[in-house]
Amino acid sequence: MNVTAYDPAIDAPAHHHGIYDYDSGPPVERGKFAIWLFLATEIMFFTGLIGVYIVLRSGSAEWPDPMERLAVDITALNTFILITSSWLMVRSLFSAQQGDQAGVLKWLGATIIGGAIFVGIQVYEYMELIDHGSLPNVDIFWSTFYAMTGFHGLHVVVGVLWLCAAWVKAARGGYTARNYLGLELAGLYWHFVDLVWVLLFTIVYLF
Amino acid sequence: MSGDGHYEFNANRIFMWLFIFTAAEVAWGYAGNWLEWGRVLLWGGLIGFALFKGIYIAMYFMHLRFEGWIVKGMILPTPFLIAVILLAISPDVSRNEQLVHEIGSMYDPKTGEVHEFMENTSGRQQGEHEDGEPAEADGGPAH
Repeated sequence: MNVTAYDPAIDAPAHHHGIYDYDSGPPVERGKFAIWLFLATEIMFFTGLIGVYIVLRSGSAEWPDPMERLAVDITALNTFILITSSWLMVRSLFSAQQGDQAGVLKWLGATIIGGAIFVGIQVYEYMELIDHGSLPNVDIFWSTFYAMTGFHGLHVVVGVLWLCAAWVKAARGGYTARNYLGLELAGLYWHFVDLVWVLLFTIVYLF
Repeated sequence: MSGDGHYEFNANRIFMWLFIFTAAEVAWGYAGNWLEWGRVLLWGGLIGFALFKGIYIAMYFMHLRFEGWIVKGMILPTPFLIAVILLAISPDVSRNEQLVHEIGSMYDPKTGEVHEFMENTSGRQQGEHEDGEPAEADGGPAH
């Protein structure tokens, strides 16, 4: 049987600490393993929210037409913005993989701006709704609306802050062509936030 | 994925499809409401667009397609768990005539008044008991 000895210089991930000559962990970077595990729990969290929405809506005698109550056009624009920011994040990671630090800063900065615009538009939407008396305690349509979009908005805010931290690290030369895991993890979270919004937009605004 | 960990796919092409399908989804939603399609057609189309976009984002932007078994092993069970949850709540999803949520009524917390009366499934209106008496006598609307 041909057995090749484990050589950390060849087999270990690029960011692997040199002091460990044997890696008994899973065959994936620890940070990536952790973020995917976290995202799996996040999937179940949003499934719970959407499940509650489905129960309440289906069990109700009447349900208002979301298109009559919500500004679907401006939210559709917001959806385009979030998808665009997700694409900008991909460009940023590609730049990091090529060792293009200026490219990382440029694309990551644009991603952050896209996320900030998304949050700004959502805050504007909330303010307009509240001005018209559409508060969470008015009826179950609004309570489920604020619960789902509010929790997602909170995730977007966290994502923007995470991306800002990544931008600062990038500006200090923290990412190289061989070490960009931190940027990739931030990107995974950001794409997940985008993915959840794609589903929420459909369920809350278009159904 | 290439040997040094780089993910090779055409991000611009994926982005273009996401853009096109979002536009098509919004158009489908508007058209379905204006033309009063059946719910199966409207919702089926919307779910189709949303799932297509979600799968594209997960597979390419999140690199799930290029990951090993351990990452896929963490994520792939979640659709089955979601199905279990949806199955578990299905008895409450079927319309229950006993439930009265008074959807569509507008409660003004400042004045305590309820606007836009809507009939519910039992034929009662908001604020009435089964015998037709107002509910204010015992301190609130009937549920």
